[in-house]
Amino acid sequence: MANADVLKIREESLAHLKSIYGDEAETVIADARYGFISGLLKDALKKPPIERVDLSDKIDKFVINRWLGIPLFLALMYGMFQFVFTLSAPLMDWFDQFFGWIGGYAAGVSPEWLGSLLADGIIGGLGSVLTFIPPIFLLFIAIAILEDCGYMSRAAFVMDRLMHKVGLHGRSFIPMILGFGCNIPGIMACRTIENPRDRLTTILINPFMSCGARLPIFVLLAGAFFTANQGLVVFSMYIIGIIVAIIMALIFRKSILKGPSGHFVMELPPYRMPTITGVLVHMWERGQLFLKKAGTIIFGAVVVIWFLSSMPWGVEYASADSWIGHIGGFIAPIFAPAGFGQWQAGVSLIFGFLAKEVVVGTMGAIFAVEEGILGGAIASQLGWTPLVAFAFMVFCLLYMPCVAAIGAIRGETRSWKWAGFAALYTTVVAWIVATLIFQVGSLFV
Amino acid sequence: MANEGMPLVMASPGKLLTVIGINAGWGLQRRLTDMGLTPGIQIRVMSGQRAGSVLIDLRGSRLGLGRGVAQKILVKES
Amino acid sequence: MAKREIVIALAGNPNSGKTTVFNNLTGAKQHVGNWPGVTVEKKEGNCSFRGYSIKVVDLPGVYSLTAYSPDEVVARNFIIDEKPDMVVDIVDASNLERNLYLAVQIMEMGVPLIIALNMMDAAESRRYKIDIEAISKEMGVSVIPMVANRNKGTDELLEEIVKVAEGRTEASGVRIEYGREVENEISRLEEAISESPLASRYSPKWLAVKLLEGDEEVIKKFEEVRSG
Repeated sequence: MANADVLKIREESLAHLKSIYGDEAETVIADARYGFISGLLKDALKKPPIERVDLSDKIDKFVINRWLGIPLFLALMYGMFQFVFTLSAPLMDWFDQFFGWIGGYAAGVSPEWLGSLLADGIIGGLGSVLTFIPPIFLLFIAIAILEDCGYMSRAAFVMDRLMHKVGLHGRSFIPMILGFGCNIPGIMACRTIENPRDRLTTILINPFMSCGARLPIFVLLAGAFFTANQGLVVFSMYIIGIIVAIIMALIFRKSILKGPSGHFVMELPPYRMPTITGVLVHMWERGQLFLKKAGTIIFGAVVVIWFLSSMPWGVEYASADSWIGHIGGFIAPIFAPAGFGQWQAGVSLIFGFLAKEVVVGTMGAIFAVEEGILGGAIASQLGWTPLVAFAFMVFCLLYMPCVAAIGAIRGETRSWKWAGFAALYTTVVAWIVATLIFQVGSLFV
Repeated sequence: MANEGMPLVMASPGKLLTVIGINAGWGLQRRLTDMGLTPGIQIRVMSGQRAGSVLIDLRGSRLGLGRGVAQKILVKES
Repeated sequence: MAKREIVIALAGNPNSGKTTVFNNLTGAKQHVGNWPGVTVEKKEGNCSFRGYSIKVVDLPGVYSLTAYSPDEVVARNFIIDEKPDMVVDIVDASNLERNLYLAVQIMEMGVPLIIALNMMDAAESRRYKIDIEAISKEMGVSVIPMVANRNKGTDELLEEIVKVAEGRTEASGVRIEYGREVENEISRLEEAISESPLASRYSPKWLAVKLLEGDEEVIKKFEEVRSG
């Protein structure tokens, strides 16, 4: 009973104070606090008569410049990706060779099934995941440097208007950039977006940012089917991902996530020199998410895949007669309109659901060849044309995020509904786009 | 006197301005109060973007405001 | 011999150097998790000093303690529900006006407070002159100057933490006067609140101020008790 009184007295008090001050009580209270602080600082703080123009302000004259702001941002992003890909290529080769080498040893372990589990399953599967450590961690180092020096808040400020036009928020772009390394930290970084509609939109389109795991698929197929233009084709995958993300963001904001966008209010702290420790700590905070979630979920996935590929007992690993082969054959017809309705493609895509990086390894296992000549094997045995390969790449780019990413979506949205929706709609979009590409492309090629 | 003010989005960089009102819902208003943007405070525009976003000097720190926000803050020259 | 435990919460604006202070205090010994039910990260660490085991809880960086965002709710709720032995507010010395807005709100919660005046080097390079004694006296709490990214002031802060824990120093702060009319309404509300079950868990005065501020979380608490 006493509480009913309290809330009523509150209403009365608010009305009374409004009539006296002409302002809401909370404004009066806030003013009183700032008044106290001003009074206190009048004596305790002396600022020089003319505020020096900080070094930070001088730098900002260029960085936030009306005309230079966006070009500078694009140049920095380009530089960042160049840094990541150039440095990581030799490192990834080294990882690859290393896993190939211990895989060779493991295969010789007896009994045979254990050797297979170790070599084909664990080392083959996990190895392909861990090969991603260089590009993902390098990207996170680059982002940590840009964040720690204070640039990222400027970038969000400069990009806010553009982001707004496509239904996102200035703060959306950092999670999207992170997504190019790994979608899991990208999705988790959406926490800084306060407005629920902006946040959910950014989470849902994050999987279209082509993560590091999809790169080998593109590199392999582009190398085999578009040898002369492979760099361009791989680059086009990233662009297609961004375009689809923007279109879907617009669609969401006009339909299921309609409503006002968040306001942009952000402090731009002074620029400062990043410290090595700071950068490494921040890199590790995000990188370890990839290692932990990807490592545990993908490890489990890889063992399941190995099991399905090895059953029924004695069957040839990942052949058409194995359980996984049957499953692949069952779903293959769905992809016929997109040009890749073969059981081998179906199987690889199933594996890809569990962890996109495993798509290539799976193909390698199915065709039982080295990756170097895998492209040729696919071309000859499946009869793929470059158009089919392109459609397949686009499908891999867009479809269902990997299990770990779906888990991250569930974690951030606290709802299986949105996680399930993300898995479903991305696959539908992927199918539509891949089919369109193949069907329309077939008219010309 | 009530018409003295103009929206912040129309102010030119460099001038010292006094905030005379905020035409925002309570969510945005509270957010701005928390950051120190209250009626009566003096601010200076450091830079204006093509799109209408504004960077201001407020109580010694730099605050970036989107165009929608800058449209809701009324200022007059000090 | 078992160490006695002190629990402190680190509060402060984003970009105030709070994380650096946390790292200086806890070194490599920290754990990251999630606050229950929320996606905001919880960081905790430990250190030992003068025979005490100090648990340091890093609260999310916030500009205020009104219930506007999950960060603020988490920070606020930790202070009033978990009742740490004290709060250390990391204040950016080159940005005093805005940073003290949070300190003032923490003071109102009735928890012992220490102000860590960080980034003194930045204030100096701007040629600010800060009278630390005056701030300390006006606010009724200790103020410890620091330059956290050069690990300066950490020991002094630890000494002060122990002093406060042992009750050897004044740390309860001062109460801001809101003007006669507002104070009258606060008293009215306080009286009504003291009959409510909520009064045993939270300070009636603080609840009264929050109600006038339109704090959603506090209003919700009263609505819940009303509906039984």
